Amino acid sequence: MSAPMSMGLSKARPMPSVRLSERAQRQLVGAGTVVALLLLWEGVVASGLVDPLYISSPSRILRVAIDQFGSGAIWPDIRVSSIEFLVGYVAAILVGIPLGLMIGWSRRLNYLLGPFIDILNAVPRVTFLPLLILWFGIGMNSKFAVVFMGAVIPIVIATHAGVRANEARFIRVARSFSASEWKIMTAIILPGTVPFLFAGLKYGAGRALLGVVVGEIYASTAGVGHMIVEAGNLFDTDTVFFGVLLFMAAGVAVTTILNRIERHFDAWRPRGLAQ
Amino acid sequence: MLRESYLACERGILGALAMAVFLVAWEGLARGWWADLLQPALGTAANVLRIRPIFLASPSAIAEMAFQMYFVTGEIWPHLGLSAFEFVVGFLIAASIGIPLGLVAGRYRLLSYAVEPLLAALNATPQVALLPLVVLWMGTGLPARIFIIVLLMIVPILINSHAAVRTIDPKWLRLARSFSASEWRLFRTIVLPAAVPFLLAGVRLAIGRGMIGIVVGEIYGSAVGVGVMINQAGSTFQTTRVFVGILTIVVAGLVLSEVVRRIERRVEVWRPSTSADS
Repeated sequence: MSAPMSMGLSKARPMPSVRLSERAQRQLVGAGTVVALLLLWEGVVASGLVDPLYISSPSRILRVAIDQFGSGAIWPDIRVSSIEFLVGYVAAILVGIPLGLMIGWSRRLNYLLGPFIDILNAVPRVTFLPLLILWFGIGMNSKFAVVFMGAVIPIVIATHAGVRANEARFIRVARSFSASEWKIMTAIILPGTVPFLFAGLKYGAGRALLGVVVGEIYASTAGVGHMIVEAGNLFDTDTVFFGVLLFMAAGVAVTTILNRIERHFDAWRPRGLAQ
Repeated sequence: MLRESYLACERGILGALAMAVFLVAWEGLARGWWADLLQPALGTAANVLRIRPIFLASPSAIAEMAFQMYFVTGEIWPHLGLSAFEFVVGFLIAASIGIPLGLVAGRYRLLSYAVEPLLAALNATPQVALLPLVVLWMGTGLPARIFIIVLLMIVPILINSHAAVRTIDPKWLRLARSFSASEWRLFRTIVLPAAVPFLLAGVRLAIGRGMIGIVVGEIYGSAVGVGVMINQAGSTFQTTRVFVGILTIVVAGLVLSEVVRRIERRVEVWRPSTSADS
């Protein structure tokens, strides 16, 4: 919000010298830094200062990427990792949001389930991996479980916080116009939780991705994490970096998608309230 | 009277009740109570509820094993000590690099623009994916474990200290400037105090991620550490020991988050309330 506003200002008040708008400056400096770092990385390796065995180089990573996508060898791994992420994450959403709404709605239920949620929230859920592998094997099932456990806790907590943050006024108004519980839930509580909910969904997505990575590093037969570990064992640093980049791209993509959806659901909110 | 005192501690009572039911249900699964109970009704199908000790240790067995490992043989202490050491050193390194770097990057506009895309990229990447590289660089010993903890912890610390400076009301800075405060004084009296709540929030996030770092960093290790202990017990099907390790991490996590919460509450008291609504 601040960037377009300052652009408007600089247009309204002509500067004596030609100055870039704040937004352009930001993008230029940001992109420049990234390009400079990539060039430095490439240069350090090309000049023989550092063995590419240790840090690879942008051009080598690009070559691996072209190779892998060109031959299509990477798709099975991407498919496995995506399924692990999606199944676990969607299950976490389907369980987490209703559960968060319920413990936000009923004080007693919150008292009953609170200790379990607090305990699970205090530990990294990847700690349970040895157990999950014992229970579900090294295939995709154990990854579903760890991704689910990673994502569900932040989603429950955020949804709960969102319900608690609702204006009691709104609910009282709806009550006095004799709205049904269902109507109150869909018309007031749910829209009110959106900012919290999406914060939880984004945090949960990070945890879900972490679950995929750690689960696959720990024990797996396929997936991008599996590819990274195998490449690491063969000292194939280029492929390791390529895998890390894939995970980075996945992280950026998920965040972007969630931001889009959030903007769609939150479009009605007056700007001043949402900040 | 009775009802009032019940309502006063309803949270505690219901929480303890739920926990007790959960533990009894769990104990029953591990000991086959429920299978025996339902045998007449369900026949052999009830044996599904009898879970073999290889898959599930009963809470009483876990408690007994924990007592053994903590107070009789004392074998957990070296593991706990080394993991705690990794955690503390990792945190100190992450904080002493992350906080100054974040604050300085937030203070200067162009520098801030320069680091923003890097922080966003770092934040979107699950840093644990770098584990095979870290092993390639430094092996599987203590340095590698500390490095992965630093890598995980530094991200929220950097992001929050950067954000902390960016959200300082420019009025304060201009005011200090017009009274010709030096850059150092500005930093000490305005930037740093205003940043403290953000920094603590960053530290809270970092603690959670540091614990991930302990568990993940010790995947490859083969000697000492709580994570190593859990992994070794897991791969030799000593489920009770796995649970003791997890329990240890649960307790450590609860204690750490409580400590940070206390500190945060302290700071909030100290912080002038006017800054929130300005």
